Amino acid sequence: MRGLTKEYVLQRFLMYLLTIWMGTTLIFVIPRLAPGDPVSEMVGRLSLDAGYIENADKLIASWKARFGLDAPIHIQYLRYWGNVFRLNFGYSLSHFPTEAWSMVSKALPWSLGLLTVATVLSFSIGVTIGSLMGWRRTPRLLQMFLPSTLTFTAIPYFMFGIMLIYLVAFELDWLPATGAYSRRVDPGWNLPFIKNVLSHAILPVVSIVLTSMGGWALGMRGLMISVNNEDYFLLAQVKGLSPARIFFRYGVRNAILPALTALALGLGGLISGSILVEFIFAYPGTGYTLYQSIISQDYTVTQAIANLIIMVTATSVFLLDLLYPFIDPRITYKRNMR
Amino acid sequence: MAVGQRTVDEETTPARGWGLNTWDSPWLNFKFLLGVAIVLLILLFGLVGPLFWDTDLAYTGAGPLNKPPVWAEGGLPEHPLGTESNGRDMLAQLILATPSSLKVGFLAAIIGMGVGMVLGSIAGYVGGWWDHVIRTISDSAITIPALVVLVVIASYVQMTDTTAMALILALFAWPGPTRLVRSQVLTLRERSYVRMAHLSGASALEIMFVEMLPNMLPWLAASLTGGISAAILGATGLEVLGLGPTRVPSLGLIINQATTNAALVRGLVWWWLPPIIILMVIFVGFFLMTIGLDEIANPRIRQFSSSRRERTAAGELPAVGLVDDGAGGEEDAALKVNDLHVHYFTPRGEVIAANGVNFKLRKGEILGLVGESGCGKTTVAMAILQVVQPPGRIVQGEVRIEDRDLVSLSGKALRQVRWRDLALVPQGAMNSLNPVTPIREQIADAILAHESIGRVELEQRILGLLNDVGLPERVISMFPHELSGGMKQRVCIAMSIALNPQVIIADEPTSALDVVVQRVVAQTLLEVKERLGVSMVMIGHDMGLQAQLVDRIAVMYAGNLVEVAPVESAFAEPLHPYTQLLIESIPSIKERKPLNVTEGLTHDLRDPPPGCIFQFRCKHVEQICRERRPALVERDKDHLAACWLYEPDRHSLIELEEA
Ligand code: SF4
Repeated sequence: MRGLTKEYVLQRFLMYLLTIWMGTTLIFVIPRLAPGDPVSEMVGRLSLDAGYIENADKLIASWKARFGLDAPIHIQYLRYWGNVFRLNFGYSLSHFPTEAWSMVSKALPWSLGLLTVATVLSFSIGVTIGSLMGWRRTPRLLQMFLPSTLTFTAIPYFMFGIMLIYLVAFELDWLPATGAYSRRVDPGWNLPFIKNVLSHAILPVVSIVLTSMGGWALGMRGLMISVNNEDYFLLAQVKGLSPARIFFRYGVRNAILPALTALALGLGGLISGSILVEFIFAYPGTGYTLYQSIISQDYTVTQAIANLIIMVTATSVFLLDLLYPFIDPRITYKRNMR
Repeated sequence: MAVGQRTVDEETTPARGWGLNTWDSPWLNFKFLLGVAIVLLILLFGLVGPLFWDTDLAYTGAGPLNKPPVWAEGGLPEHPLGTESNGRDMLAQLILATPSSLKVGFLAAIIGMGVGMVLGSIAGYVGGWWDHVIRTISDSAITIPALVVLVVIASYVQMTDTTAMALILALFAWPGPTRLVRSQVLTLRERSYVRMAHLSGASALEIMFVEMLPNMLPWLAASLTGGISAAILGATGLEVLGLGPTRVPSLGLIINQATTNAALVRGLVWWWLPPIIILMVIFVGFFLMTIGLDEIANPRIRQFSSSRRERTAAGELPAVGLVDDGAGGEEDAALKVNDLHVHYFTPRGEVIAANGVNFKLRKGEILGLVGESGCGKTTVAMAILQVVQPPGRIVQGEVRIEDRDLVSLSGKALRQVRWRDLALVPQGAMNSLNPVTPIREQIADAILAHESIGRVELEQRILGLLNDVGLPERVISMFPHELSGGMKQRVCIAMSIALNPQVIIADEPTSALDVVVQRVVAQTLLEVKERLGVSMVMIGHDMGLQAQLVDRIAVMYAGNLVEVAPVESAFAEPLHPYTQLLIESIPSIKERKPLNVTEGLTHDLRDPPPGCIFQFRCKHVEQICRERRPALVERDKDHLAACWLYEPDRHSLIELEEA
């Protein structure tokens, strides 16, 4: 009766597949719609550089075979899908013979760590601020102070990041400006390394959190105001419940549901923004690797990483979707919720 | 809906036309206008700049290298904002870059909005399979990290100009507006004025443009401004990564060149900072517009912020300045309401919703409080319960249970009295139960707030309560959405008797239920009342139902009680002309209908006339009725009325005054 129903899971799973399909197909199709033949152009450019790469002939041959330049587009598309499906993206062009996939998987933990921490922080702080802003019983003093926390809301993460690098890293010299850890420490599970990693993560995380929490706060404020006007909220007061109980069980508990939906819908944007943050901070995650692969025209790595980011995003959204019915008992009844 | 406080009701006030030319128009929102001004200013800088400054300096690179702005040491007057490492003039670059960034944003967002409006209207209006497909696709598309796809596309497709970039950005600009338009169309098509238009044979396009579009305009505008800044962000992102058009200067490109040339480390602040500042100002401008538009679109947010201000202005505590009417002898009163005044401080004036309401609820009786909607009966109920919502406030009066005046209580003292002594059966129970928690927890909540008992006992007690109102035990672990309207209402009744209160306020407990269920619920209520000996105020607009349930009846009109009498004498010989009108209008006791006897109020509640409030509709109106307000006095045994007709000395009263 409650929780996950087969229908719901199936529907969400279809949307999950659809998202991945749309993302990866866009990557495949758009370049081919553009004037000129991008693939042969790529190979052409590559052969110009080929003198610098060992096994160049082999590489070009394997390339041509892989992308089947002469094959009709639907065959190319099917092959592309086969590769995506098996996570087989071939070798990195700039770091031959490293496999593209291994480069990507090296970058992934950094991004996941950075983004998870930043998202959890900004969402929970933002939701707290917004809930308090939208509650009539919030102490006057707090109510006056809260809007100031929204100061940086409109600023894109990476611009704030640049300012932070300049002020905190260069001018004040308090924290490292770039990278995920210093060269002088040994990577591993030891305290100096962990400390070092954390100190490098502070500025990127702060630049994401301070600029994105305001969005959650504003959304939550509006939701909380709506809940304030609900009959059950009024009844809770009449029941003589403590303000804290009303706030959490009747207010936040209801208002947070649409906020969670917004989080699921906003993940894509968040990940987009973090690519730039990684670029600015030269943080060795997927975003930065994506950038580098494009600069060095490492076509296979670009493909691999873009597909991976799309899949990871879709998976996180899917997981959030699966979580949702446990928080909102109505979800399986209301099919139009999202 | 027990909340009579919704003074701004979206349902009843459809926007007609575009509403821009009146002075109290919601469009005159400070944040929105400030945002517009900021964006216009930036636009002006880009448009007028080329007239005053030689923009060719942005390309030539003929200037000296790395010169700081003119005000810094070493700055040159011919390069007021300095130059960068290629000798290009910063001012000229900024002038050229600014409008191109804005243009991309506008173009992409407008395309996205157009597509979104078409798809969203189809999904919302046609519905069915179309809706399903469009919704699924747009919901999936919205979660794709746009920049990743953009970056990959941009790495193949050399984007030569901003239009190409805008087109590609538009690929990601449509799902948001689609979702919005769809949900708006779904909401609006249920509104009465849209239905009316539909019935009168207006075409779908006509309805869309005449009835719906003006009403969703603020939402659309907010979505557009949000979309523009998202598109500018996307474009800037590509430029910063060096993947945008490289021949035309753009703000992102300047940042890219600055960062790749290590401008940060080299201290060339004037290189990387100005484009960031301009972008920030643009984003702040659009952000202000978006949140301003949100307030315009959502009257509740507006109301929330303004009501907080007014509450502060009006002071929080009501002035309780009332003499005790010496009613100490009446020990049988369970609840006394003395001279209760409730005002709503709306932006358009002070609305007097309850004007000196006086009554006593005797122990063990049911007192019916009746009147048309808007007469203030719900306001009185809310005032008794101490939950008048801002901008409303009890400005004067007392609500007494035993020796305590609830109006003067607050915080913990008030919480202890609530539910223990004074409970509520809300209206219709439509939305009175917390949708996300099971019934068990909602009843337990009320009990545990006042008593500490063990889990087993608690469970037993809740089951007992459900049993009392004739609900099966399994209801305890069900959620509100799994119950029918009648069952929900009975859960509410069970909850109201959980602590065996002295007084229950029942706010139209049977409205919104069908007739059979009404009967069951009314029966349950009566049984409960008989067994517990509780006293009850029953609010309602259904005279027929009241006749069957209540012991005494109190009739309310425009914030005033006009008659209070035992139910038999009120129906047999109503004294007040308004009560007479009400009773005449009941078609038959069997066929019950809501009160709808009149054209409603004939005067403005902000400015009640001197004299009798019913004077404009009364057949018996006399001179004195226009000058002096009749008091609620006992005219017959236990039968009170506020009408001059029953004052034998009324003529001499007037003459006395004139003398
Ligand atoms: S006081 Fe006068 S106007 Fe008012 S109801 Fe009585 S007769 Fe009518």
